[in-house]
Amino acid sequence: MSEVDGESGGESGSEQAALEVVDLHKSFGNVEVIRGVSLSAHKGDVISILGASGSGKSTFLRCINLLEIPTAGDVYVAGEKIRMKNGKAGTYVPEDIHQVERLRARLGMVFQSFNLWSHMTVIENVIEAPIHVLKIPRAQAIEEAEALMHKVGIYDRKDYYPAQLSGGQQQRVAIARGLAMNPEVMLFDEPTSALDPELVGEVLKVMRDLAEEGRTMLVVTHEMSFARDVSSSVVFLHKGMIEEQGAPQQMFKDPNSDRFRQFLSRTMQ
Amino acid sequence: MGESIIAFLDAWSPLDIVLIAQNFDRFLWGALVTLQLTVISLVVGGLMSIPLAIIRSGNNPFLNAPVWAFTYLFRGTPLLVQTYLIYYGLGQFEWIRQTVVWDPILSQAWWCALIAFSLNTAAYTTELLRGAIETTHKGEVEAAKACGLGKWMRLRRIILPSAFRRALPAYSNEVIFMLHGSVVASTITIQDLLGVGRWLNGRYYLAYEGFITAAVMYLIIVLLVSRGFRLWESHWLKHLYPRDAVAVEPKKGAASIRI
Repeated sequence: MSEVDGESGGESGSEQAALEVVDLHKSFGNVEVIRGVSLSAHKGDVISILGASGSGKSTFLRCINLLEIPTAGDVYVAGEKIRMKNGKAGTYVPEDIHQVERLRARLGMVFQSFNLWSHMTVIENVIEAPIHVLKIPRAQAIEEAEALMHKVGIYDRKDYYPAQLSGGQQQRVAIARGLAMNPEVMLFDEPTSALDPELVGEVLKVMRDLAEEGRTMLVVTHEMSFARDVSSSVVFLHKGMIEEQGAPQQMFKDPNSDRFRQFLSRTMQ
Repeated sequence: MGESIIAFLDAWSPLDIVLIAQNFDRFLWGALVTLQLTVISLVVGGLMSIPLAIIRSGNNPFLNAPVWAFTYLFRGTPLLVQTYLIYYGLGQFEWIRQTVVWDPILSQAWWCALIAFSLNTAAYTTELLRGAIETTHKGEVEAAKACGLGKWMRLRRIILPSAFRRALPAYSNEVIFMLHGSVVASTITIQDLLGVGRWLNGRYYLAYEGFITAAVMYLIIVLLVSRGFRLWESHWLKHLYPRDAVAVEPKKGAASIRI
């Protein structure tokens, strides 16, 4: 279960959170798009992050692995805090880029636009980071990658280039690429938003399977059925703040906030 | 038989074929000099351009400014002027003639041409590569970051391999320009391909014979170069081809060789 936890940082309760975000802020210029969001994900949690466009949900996700540098707040990966310091002109910057890189490797990320490396084949995409970041022997990386490609149903395309695949296939490769790092948490940034409607299902199916096998996942999504049926908890962001959060059954049946109610009525038609 | 052909050509050919044939070995040597200068300067300039292009696409002003000045200078002035400045200009300075690089290198026309050509093609290739580096798909770089690849690893594994491939078609033009630009060598006493044509003209007052022979040989070299690049592109750029062209029958294992 996720819970707001602003005080205790990395040690929340007896079980250590796989991922913990404490009071995260992010501004672009004078516009503050994330205004103090805290969230923790324990092992096996599947947290869906919902919100209207512009609510800051993608930015929030990108702040977790520092693709965007937050303006304030802390991120803990398996209890380890990403060390930040105050840089020039009051900016907030990572203290040690090597620590950031090490922790990024423990957070798999799947992008809206897939972002596969276009000059590499499917299998090359999947084994790249295990070989060059985790320093796994090549033969072992290939073996593991082949198992993952079977799992996401892309094995028969392993020597194709990304441009030769459909969007749904590309996204499944991207998921395999993320899984290949055996991450603590998988971050999904609107994984089905760029797909043709008939291709959404195959990606969601893979994500459901991952949820069932106990992967810890943070999913920014517009797929209401996924949020309702698959996730263990739902976070609704509005204007950079958590407006409502809780178990999906309860939230979808009986929302507390008017805004989430309105959001549901607009999106669930 | 042979004599009758020669007699026939003598009487009917507008060009003095016999003269060309008699001096053909000179043309082959000239072609060799041309190829030597072109290939070596492309290799030297190409190797220089990689770090320079990385600097140019970075945002360190102290490194960027001198590289920018270098590329601006060498792309903004004619190759002929650059070659003259190095060949005729440097020798004017007494202290340069005193240095160790004078005797075996800077006093030799061949070396001066090589230096000028290398710097020139380095400048052009730097800017060409910089463009390719800067147009690398942002999402691909982000994905590399998200996987924990560090700055140099991203450059080495993602950005450069992708940029080199995208730069390839434009680079084939640079190779042909450099080949053509190498005629400048003939103006500083070097017997390259054009140099032999000029020699023939000077010796026999026959302009067409020498220059047409040289032109035809340049054409043949360009043909081979562009053929080579087309083969190269079909190998290195196959990831850009539409799905239908390859998807029907992907080449087994062809792709997994180079990682």
